[in-house]
Amino acid sequence: MADSNMGTESILLVDDNPTNLQVLYQTLEGTGCKLLVAKDGETALGIAEKALPDLILLDIMMPGIDGFEVCSRLKKDPATKEIPVIFLSALTDTKDKVRGLQLGAVDYVSKPFQPDEVIARVDTHLTIHRLKREVEQKKDALEEELEVVSDVQRRLLPKNLPEIEGFRLAVHYETSLYAGGDYYDIAELGDSQWGFLVADAEGHSAPAAVMMAMTCALFRSYPEPPAEPAELIYFLNRHLCKVADPSFVTALYIVYDANHHTLKIARAGHPPPMIYRSSEKKAIEYSCGGVFPMGIDPFEQVPVTEADLQPGDRILMYTDGITERFSMDGKTYGEERLLRQLEGDGNLQPQELLAAIMKDVDDFANGRPADDDQALLLGIVQ
Amino acid sequence: MEISQKEENGIVFLAFKGRLDGKSAGEAEEIINSIFKGDNKRLLFDFGLLEYLSSAGLRVILGAAKEVKRRDGKFVLCALNAYVKEVFEVSGFGAIIPIADSVESGINQIC
Repeated sequence: MADSNMGTESILLVDDNPTNLQVLYQTLEGTGCKLLVAKDGETALGIAEKALPDLILLDIMMPGIDGFEVCSRLKKDPATKEIPVIFLSALTDTKDKVRGLQLGAVDYVSKPFQPDEVIARVDTHLTIHRLKREVEQKKDALEEELEVVSDVQRRLLPKNLPEIEGFRLAVHYETSLYAGGDYYDIAELGDSQWGFLVADAEGHSAPAAVMMAMTCALFRSYPEPPAEPAELIYFLNRHLCKVADPSFVTALYIVYDANHHTLKIARAGHPPPMIYRSSEKKAIEYSCGGVFPMGIDPFEQVPVTEADLQPGDRILMYTDGITERFSMDGKTYGEERLLRQLEGDGNLQPQELLAAIMKDVDDFANGRPADDDQALLLGIVQ
Repeated sequence: MEISQKEENGIVFLAFKGRLDGKSAGEAEEIINSIFKGDNKRLLFDFGLLEYLSSAGLRVILGAAKEVKRRDGKFVLCALNAYVKEVFEVSGFGAIIPIADSVESGINQIC
């Protein structure tokens, strides 16, 4: 499809005057383009719709519908609106030129015209049109690839959430076409202990997806059940640092003891968890020390923070795609709003609470699509 | 976001005004890359007028820090407001990228 010579392209010539049409025909014959002709507007529209020429040279003053009207209709029809139109007219007033260009024509040549000039402009616009089509095809191909990346991302995630006695779980995970880095995973550690990992590879599409896939593989190949958060983070980082990539991966890893409702938290550059205390009916960002993100430099010491939960308490792990979600007027969702949502209706099941949170996020965004992945992992102590 | 640039006494100063986020990170990265075309090794970012910093912005800053380190140079971020400072601390970058309270003390750090 990407031919670089003019020989395979077609041009529609429209003029009610047979002499003009002939001169135009002879002028452009040498270009090797296929030439189509029409003597009035209605015929021109009919041919344009059927033959889909690569360019239209359009006279303005014609009986029946004039050139401006033809152009206007061409632009209204999705089938023909991308075809470049050049007005060729004896009307040389600036306001006619402006009107023509505002109707969507790409150029305006005054009659009587210089043959060389017409050929040159036709060549220019055919080239532009050709390049535009190539760019659009490449963009479509790229979007298809990005969808494949999103798909691969999703397949790496756990298929199901585990059933944990006394701890109800829910997860929400949404990829953005242009991201590719968010990840969560859950490990059964035995002894009623569970490991929850939420990670975020910074950057976009393929490079971020690769880091995310590596993090997933490393987590799952950890030599024993990862019961020590600091060691797990240390291990992931050691291997991620070997990948020479400008991207980094933030992570939050929490080991939860379902019998005692206790938590051990290790954090690498990732937002801390939010905890809702049912006794106070209040949610806070749970302050915990951390290191910088993984994949940059080896860690010296990974601090571990402990916490304990009471029945009715909620813990939320999330990625910054939520708090940094933009609205139409350029504001960001922010931590405060998420905390208030976490305090929501006490009787909701975790899945319903997450649905309510996401509805609030989408309402806030007001139609503006997310440009980052969004992930939420929620646990409610029964 | 607006970025202004100047060079004095062998230090390249970049002053940021507005938000360094997903939208403006690309532009910031281009400007930083063009600085690195030269022989520059001392880089100072003035964040006095920076209102907001996201993870995309952190990545750009990290990229600059890595390159300066590769050249055996010096890098400092100055005059972070309370919010930006907190983003910095929470992300853990405070441990690996030097910050200074003011441009003056930043200059002292990297001279």
